[in-house]
Amino acid sequence: MIPVNVLTITLPEGTQDQAVPEKERLKLLDDPQEWAQFSHAEGDGRCASSVVFEGMHCAACAITIEDALLRVPGVQSVQVSAASHRGRVVWTPGSTRPSAWMEAAARAGYRAVPANDAHAHELRRQEARRMLWRVAVAGLCMMQVMMYATPAYVTAPGEITPDMVALLRWASWVLSLPVLLFSCTPFFKAAWRDLHQRQISMDLPVALGMLATFVVSSLGTFEPHGPFGAEVYFDSLTMFVFFLLAGRWLELRLRDRTAGALEAVLNRLPDSVSRRNPEGDWERISVRRLAVGDVLEVLPGQALAGDGTILSGQTQVDEALLTGESRPLHRGVGERVIAGSHNLSSRIEVRIDQVGAATRYAQIVALMENASLSRPSMALVADRMAKPFLVFVLLAAAAAAWHGWSSGPAHAVMVAVAVLVVTCPCALSLATPAAMLATAGALARSGVLVRRLTALQNLASIDTVIFDKTGTLTHDAFALAGIRTREGVAPEQALFWAAALARHSLHPVSRAIWAEARQQAQARGALVALESQALQEVTELAGQGVHAVLVQGAQKLALRLGSAAFCQAPELVSERLQVSLADATGWLATFELQEEVRSEARAVVQRLQGLGLSVQVLSGDAPLAVAQVAAAVGITNDRGACTPQDKLTHMQQLQQQGHRVAMVGDGLNDGPVLAGADASFALGQAVPLAQSKADFVLMGGHLGVLVDTIERSRQTLRVVKQNLAWAAVYNAACVPLALVGWLPAWAAGLGMALSSLLVVLNALRLSSPIPAKPSI
Amino acid sequence: MDILFLLIPLSVGLVFFILGGLWWAVHKGQFEDIEAEGERILRND
Repeated sequence: MIPVNVLTITLPEGTQDQAVPEKERLKLLDDPQEWAQFSHAEGDGRCASSVVFEGMHCAACAITIEDALLRVPGVQSVQVSAASHRGRVVWTPGSTRPSAWMEAAARAGYRAVPANDAHAHELRRQEARRMLWRVAVAGLCMMQVMMYATPAYVTAPGEITPDMVALLRWASWVLSLPVLLFSCTPFFKAAWRDLHQRQISMDLPVALGMLATFVVSSLGTFEPHGPFGAEVYFDSLTMFVFFLLAGRWLELRLRDRTAGALEAVLNRLPDSVSRRNPEGDWERISVRRLAVGDVLEVLPGQALAGDGTILSGQTQVDEALLTGESRPLHRGVGERVIAGSHNLSSRIEVRIDQVGAATRYAQIVALMENASLSRPSMALVADRMAKPFLVFVLLAAAAAAWHGWSSGPAHAVMVAVAVLVVTCPCALSLATPAAMLATAGALARSGVLVRRLTALQNLASIDTVIFDKTGTLTHDAFALAGIRTREGVAPEQALFWAAALARHSLHPVSRAIWAEARQQAQARGALVALESQALQEVTELAGQGVHAVLVQGAQKLALRLGSAAFCQAPELVSERLQVSLADATGWLATFELQEEVRSEARAVVQRLQGLGLSVQVLSGDAPLAVAQVAAAVGITNDRGACTPQDKLTHMQQLQQQGHRVAMVGDGLNDGPVLAGADASFALGQAVPLAQSKADFVLMGGHLGVLVDTIERSRQTLRVVKQNLAWAAVYNAACVPLALVGWLPAWAAGLGMALSSLLVVLNALRLSSPIPAKPSI
Repeated sequence: MDILFLLIPLSVGLVFFILGGLWWAVHKGQFEDIEAEGERILRND
């Protein structure tokens, strides 16, 4: 298949569109290798594709596209975001092809482009350029038309000759032409498309307004004695077109900035990588051909293309966009690096362990895309209201024109135009998604993934926060709290031996002993001695312990590490977790372990209480241990020995009492509880993101951002309410003004542009980065 | 005042001329990265 290569080579910027005709471009995408680049399997043999739609103007466009695509057989579901112009199409490869539904989108008047290639970026650049050019034409012509219109305003009747008046009108007409024929095309195209499909959108009233103004003014210019009189409105026309376009252009720029945080994460992988070939040389290959097991060379400043392990070299990496951790992290030989992170300081060689959709990066991207497409429930209400509102506007404009017709057709038409132009369900539709997307972007930069936008709305109204203890208030890992030994055995020696066995086990307790021994040995300079201990016959019995033979020169020592029963050791009375060490003669030592409370937990709990939230702990652990941890972090309401069912019942009881509950868990064990809560958080970097049921994932594994997220969600809800209130007040005030004829068309254009702009600007306040708190 | 009959059509022509210049500037990407040129002096390469 030759055509495949046409797309895989990177074409120079700006030539893609011209080089491949549209039909063929779509056909190329039918190659499974090609659509795999912007799609992934969904299960049940379905496929989910991410696309960007070109030509979207307003929220109603999203609905038009969804309707058009859903009519294609084989397309299961479509979600299109009006705010980001991205869409997610789920389809069955057996019954349709990407070209089929992309053509359906094209017929509806929108061009679909695969979301994750350079194409989408290039597309946005061209769109921005075209938009700027439209604004520039409208702006320049507007200024000049204004000059020609000025004499008509400042002179007394008869002061200038009729010839001169006619000349000025003629000049205005000539300069209005490019505005109408070029700058206004997006409005006309969209309106025509909607009429064609018997639909109604925000562009229809505006396009009608423009056309009516131009027709009335042209008649005034060339037929001054006709029914519409000699009045011309070229200045109004050019001015409101300019205001509308300028508003849209600014909106476009703001949208790109809001989407910036998302995009920054989405576009983090390099295009090509340097791989070691079988001969041992480095060769550059496309990132798509990267496979598990490849060895890559990553230079300072480059991004990692897959999850992998460092084979040689050590460096600092920047994982800020993936975990929110803004400090450079040190990574040495044998340590893991993740796709999408940046190599900062020196050259490393990395063996790739995971590529493509299996990387943590890809999971994050998939989550973020889905979240940005989900429609918050408040936005759905606004969208539903938009259509009836538009019908009302058209009827109102017609009624106004009909009512004023007897007193002067030209004036009546202009009143109708003002009504058509001033109304803006755009502001209403944008109010919610714009604010929530801005927040999601800001949170993503701080390492908080938002899975559903609606969750932000729920989170703002919670009054109770329930922590699961293990892994949230405490670290996943244990810490060594004390050692008791047989007489004559030094604690250090016992730990040394225990560590040799513990090293061969992945049990959390073993890891804690090994970590502690390593730390002590490092302090004494005995790390080599610790790591060189030789073991034979290592056997691990699940749930009991490890036994092995330690070889020290000629001496052989049979050791057991594990539960008291496994080691035949005396059970000591303590509420702490214990692990024993024994040799052939019997008990040697007992290690006491405790959970380590997160250093920031106490301050976080205080800040939560400061926000007026009631904080509780629910845990499956022994009540005494739970009470200890709760006391350590300042929580008075705690319950231990809860089964998952108990937790759920307790939470449901709270909800029945009218409380709104947020649940914080480690994201693995509390599935049903997390799903039942009004809002839920999962913590910890070990969580497989795709399976996590939580609304929010704290990727950095730091509790502090929890409070920031709650604060930001409250702020978001405030902004959404402001936006909705503004949109409602604006329309309630302006429509009557326009109806009685007190609002000229140019002011209507300005009002409409400003109302949308204000909503987006207000939302943009939420995209300010969350200030990093001093580590607590 | 008869000169206006010449000047007004001229001004229309001038607008189209300026529009041509603007077209060139927009499509050359002059307005796309306004900060970059100023920052260039601070960069090493």
